[in-house]
Amino acid sequence: MELLLQTVVNGVIQSGFYALAAVGLVLIFGVMKIVNFAHGELVMAGAYTIWLLHAQWGIPYLPTVLIAVLFVTCIGLTMERFLFRPMAKDVLGGLICSIGVLFVLQVAATLVGGEGPSKQVPPPFEGTLVLFEVLRIPYQRLFSIAVAIATLALLWYFLTRSKAGWALRAVSQDRDAAALQGINSNRISMLAIGVGAAMAGLAGALMAPLTNINPHMGHNVIITAFIVTIVGGVGSLTGAIIASVLYALFHTFITTYFSGTLATIFGLIIMVLVLIVRPTGIMGHRTSE
Amino acid sequence: MNTKFNERRKFLKQTAAGATAAVTASTFPLSAFSANKQLTVGMNVPLTGDLAPWGLPGLYGCEIIADRVNSAGGVEIGGTTYDINIASYDHGYDTEKALQGIKKLVLEDDAKMVMMLGGATVGAILPWATRKKVLTTTLLPSDITPDSEYLVATCESHPLYNVTGVVWLAENFPEAKTAAIVTNNDAEYGLQSAATYKAAFEVAGIEVIDTNLHGFDVTDFAPIVSSVLAKKPDIFCMATSFYVTPIMEQLYHQGYEGKIISCTLDYYQEIIAKTSVDFVNGTIFQFPDFDDPMLMNEGISFPDPAGFDAAFRKDHPNDWSAVAWEYPVILMNWLENAQAVGSVESVDVAPAMLANKQQFVFGGGDWWGSQLWGLDNTLIGRWPVVVVTDGKARIQEYGDVAGWLAQNNDVLIKHMKEMGLRTV
Repeated sequence: MELLLQTVVNGVIQSGFYALAAVGLVLIFGVMKIVNFAHGELVMAGAYTIWLLHAQWGIPYLPTVLIAVLFVTCIGLTMERFLFRPMAKDVLGGLICSIGVLFVLQVAATLVGGEGPSKQVPPPFEGTLVLFEVLRIPYQRLFSIAVAIATLALLWYFLTRSKAGWALRAVSQDRDAAALQGINSNRISMLAIGVGAAMAGLAGALMAPLTNINPHMGHNVIITAFIVTIVGGVGSLTGAIIASVLYALFHTFITTYFSGTLATIFGLIIMVLVLIVRPTGIMGHRTSE
Repeated sequence: MNTKFNERRKFLKQTAAGATAAVTASTFPLSAFSANKQLTVGMNVPLTGDLAPWGLPGLYGCEIIADRVNSAGGVEIGGTTYDINIASYDHGYDTEKALQGIKKLVLEDDAKMVMMLGGATVGAILPWATRKKVLTTTLLPSDITPDSEYLVATCESHPLYNVTGVVWLAENFPEAKTAAIVTNNDAEYGLQSAATYKAAFEVAGIEVIDTNLHGFDVTDFAPIVSSVLAKKPDIFCMATSFYVTPIMEQLYHQGYEGKIISCTLDYYQEIIAKTSVDFVNGTIFQFPDFDDPMLMNEGISFPDPAGFDAAFRKDHPNDWSAVAWEYPVILMNWLENAQAVGSVESVDVAPAMLANKQQFVFGGGDWWGSQLWGLDNTLIGRWPVVVVTDGKARIQEYGDVAGWLAQNNDVLIKHMKEMGLRTV
């Protein structure tokens, strides 16, 4: 029972990171129809910002989280303005550009942090919450899941209650129809990638004290984000969040009770099965040509 | 043998003198003004990428040794005085680049010996290096095959030395009776090490109640640690080191209070920063800091280890890892053998070094390996058991790897076979 409860807690906390990473990817694809292969590197850029500013320069953690989010947002906006927008008519071109950005960001991280060991960030929130003498949750993880939930709630509010959010969803559903309603699609693209990159930067900033930071850490992030996005339904934010929770719990349970290797293999098998049996995913909708 | 002994003394004397000269003349490289011939030694290792921590610190360490030797006037081999030049090639742990690297180092840079990390990259270069008779070194003796006559492991005999940590643990904590092993699931580092720990635990009368193998894609170790701790092991064993920091962090947060033993504990100060000194204290592993007083003991042949440690940390304060001193040991061992045979050519040095008794860096020294990998090309000797004490890695004793293998070789081979690993 103790292990079961701990596993549920481990899974729920992990789902917060998955959701933040996947939601950004979904937003960018939904609006711009670009598969942003550099999304994992945006997460990495967020983590590196924390390492540099907080662990190396001693700036307090919370301001550096904000700086990391802003910095990664700027990277995203730059990508949109100078790479994705000129390639708007060429889906393959956008994808290739994102792969180029992936390598550029990896090299930039190497230049900033140097080669050698993975970077470590001491946890700003030390200690462990012990519940009922069986459940143990590090305060750093507790903080991370709380911020992730709050951020996703804010995003939901923004998308469903603000004009900009409605416009973003409109462009995501039908770009041409949205344009006929006077919505500036370029501006909405910038908004989408800005919000998506901010989410990635936040995910990196929250993960930084909990993981090994290195220029290649985005690789695992993007694979997980793809699985979650496909299972949830490409373009569906709700689907991405539901899939994040389900996948995190699934992965954590298989890792705990069987093995981590099997968890990864089964995760990929589920993704392939979803593509075959229900290509629209949990919450996606079939679109007609 | 006397001649060899004298050569050895001469080499160590030169190296020690070089250390002093290097300190006094460290503002400019003396070799820049030297009339000596250049003797190039190659390092075909990962200097970038995930495995850079097991390449780059070794390059820094070798550069310190080369500076020491060159500052002392060079090294005399076969009547010629040489300055040592370390030529490196970054293969990023890519097999094709590794093959390209050794060809570049040997054919273009005229490297007389090539040091490598081991694993798949050594497998990739082995046919070419064997055919061309290039003396190549590895840190993974499991790379050695029955026909790899020019491949030797003269320093790290991964993972054979791990048995010494288990022997020490069993002697000092006899109440610890069960162990769980966590490791990467690769055959080169993880499974070799897991099999060795299993053999060592069996010999020590400790039951292995869980072996948790994981891939390289793990980003969250909470579920793995939860799973292992649910079995309540007295000993938590990390057979390889790729993820020691996040695993230690989870052990700390999940309240583990048993003994921890690990193959390596690279960057343990960062682990302390993420957990606590009290938690990390008592962790047993196998790789010392070189300012350890026990390295001044008789039988240790590394010249001025504390000076080496200080020089390394001065220039590269955050880069010390297990390989920082291992490649230098390999380099010095090769120079010593080249001096003894009076030649820098692999066809002369390799057979001579394998035919002669060697002094291992921590004492002892026997060629071993035919029982397991087909050739006696692995140099084994005493190996330190290191324990974190008051937040600092400190050698507790030197374990006898050769003695353990002599008595328990069959147990080791049994576990290697059970894990599907290659044995002869």
